[in-house]
Amino acid sequence: MREVVVLGVGMHPFGRFLDKSLRDLAKVAIWDALKDANVPAKDVQVAYLGNSVGGLITGQEGIRAQTILGPCGFSGIPMVNVENACASASTAFRGVWLEIASGLCDVGLAVGVEKMFLEDRARTISALISVSQLELSKLGMQFAGEAAMRCKRYMRKYGGTKEDLALVAVKNSYNGSLNPYAYHRKAYTLEDVLSSSLIAEPLHLYMTSSIADGAAAAVLCSKDIAKRYTSKPLVTVAACVLKSGRYMDSDPLDTDVQSTITFTANEAYEQAGMEPKDIDVAEVHDAMSPIELVSCEDLGFCKKGEGIRFLKEGRTKITGDIPINTSGGLCARGHPIGATGIAQVAEIVWQLRGEAGPRQVANPKVGMCEDSGGVVEGDNAAFTNIILKR
Amino acid sequence: MEQETRKKRLPILPGIIHEATSPGDKSYLIGSRCSACGRTFFPKRSVCRVCMRDDTMEETALSTRGKIDTFTVVHVAPIGFTAPYIQAFVDLPEGPRIFSLITGCEPSQDALEEGAEVELIIDKITEDEKGNDLIGYKFRPVGKGSRSKNEEKS
Repeated sequence: MREVVVLGVGMHPFGRFLDKSLRDLAKVAIWDALKDANVPAKDVQVAYLGNSVGGLITGQEGIRAQTILGPCGFSGIPMVNVENACASASTAFRGVWLEIASGLCDVGLAVGVEKMFLEDRARTISALISVSQLELSKLGMQFAGEAAMRCKRYMRKYGGTKEDLALVAVKNSYNGSLNPYAYHRKAYTLEDVLSSSLIAEPLHLYMTSSIADGAAAAVLCSKDIAKRYTSKPLVTVAACVLKSGRYMDSDPLDTDVQSTITFTANEAYEQAGMEPKDIDVAEVHDAMSPIELVSCEDLGFCKKGEGIRFLKEGRTKITGDIPINTSGGLCARGHPIGATGIAQVAEIVWQLRGEAGPRQVANPKVGMCEDSGGVVEGDNAAFTNIILKR
Repeated sequence: MEQETRKKRLPILPGIIHEATSPGDKSYLIGSRCSACGRTFFPKRSVCRVCMRDDTMEETALSTRGKIDTFTVVHVAPIGFTAPYIQAFVDLPEGPRIFSLITGCEPSQDALEEGAEVELIIDKITEDEKGNDLIGYKFRPVGKGSRSKNEEKS
């Protein structure tokens, strides 16, 4: 396998853009990524486009990559439609990485794009529900409620209060307030979070990710030709792993069963030849913000049950030793399902290059993107873990 | 006309419930048990994912009582449901931890406890777009006795 670098990244800000189409959103992210990479569009040999609910939202099934990328200037090259819930974009990223690492192509484009805001709110909600297993939705599962139950199990086992859980949203909303690409750019106090509407005990509105429109793109190339294009610090893909949920009968919090986040991360650490202590900055999939605590533990940044203490000590703040979700995470940045995975990559690339502005972490060399999406019986559906190094 | 507009009673999902049809009969959830590893699964399936074999699964009637693993009161309901309501994971003695709505108690945090014993009922979950009742399963606290207003004979 050849070494692959992320030459450039671009984003359309996440937010509510009723007048913009999937195409409009993707165009901005793609061409920003090309400019950032200094790669002429003609050099792109392959494109993977991640999108999760565009079929239900727009009615366009089957060929969203082609119908979106065509008007963005691309034709003739292989285009792959990727649908993998909240991990759609990171799965698209993996596809392009694999094309280049295998030697099949030298330069490729990975895109994640999602449009969720419509005048027809019922359609948005049914699209959102569609990334949970249909049988569970039919029986009345409200998936924020599913995460709420995971939080309750966590508190049952390790202690902690709702106030502790809410502190994640306080930290991440502050980070988001510094991110020009974030949907919600207001730093919330603990009181703000706990007085926002109750969704499902112990989760309040500001502790949940919000639907959004947005796009993110990354241009990847083989490391041996990267210097032809750019003089910026090269960001290398040290690991890229995709797994599926393991449909566990019991929750890893109750048993010694390894969580699928750990299962996925362990393979990434092995691929990169690294350990958790080597990670300087990470974006984790906090679809409900307290889940970040469990992810920190599952990724090995702290011991089991120590997530709350770790957070309270400020270790995961921008100024901490392992800053988590400097972008604001899913709750502050917003969560356009099929775009999130590459938005995570963009944030880590900016961090590793020292381009993250007021969110900049002190001299990070290695960053991680952890993504998990969809709800199936007993687990999430899709898991990715990407380690990037400078 | 009367006949045409009458609401039907339809299963919300195929093959998950055996619904009692006679007085001596009992309603239960249908699972599968792997004769090789002994694990029980719900809903039923034809392949054991632990053994990865397709010749070991046997249909089995699951216990109608279980214990609340954890639960939450949902305050923002999906389409077709009315908040607040309780959703939970219920541990069955055979092993499966299954998702279920909880009925028969107030939809409040204080009305239920983790570890509480609950029993299966066959109940209306929601309605389809034509107004037909979609029938599935729920659990309710044992000994509370109060029947939900939607509950059919079980």
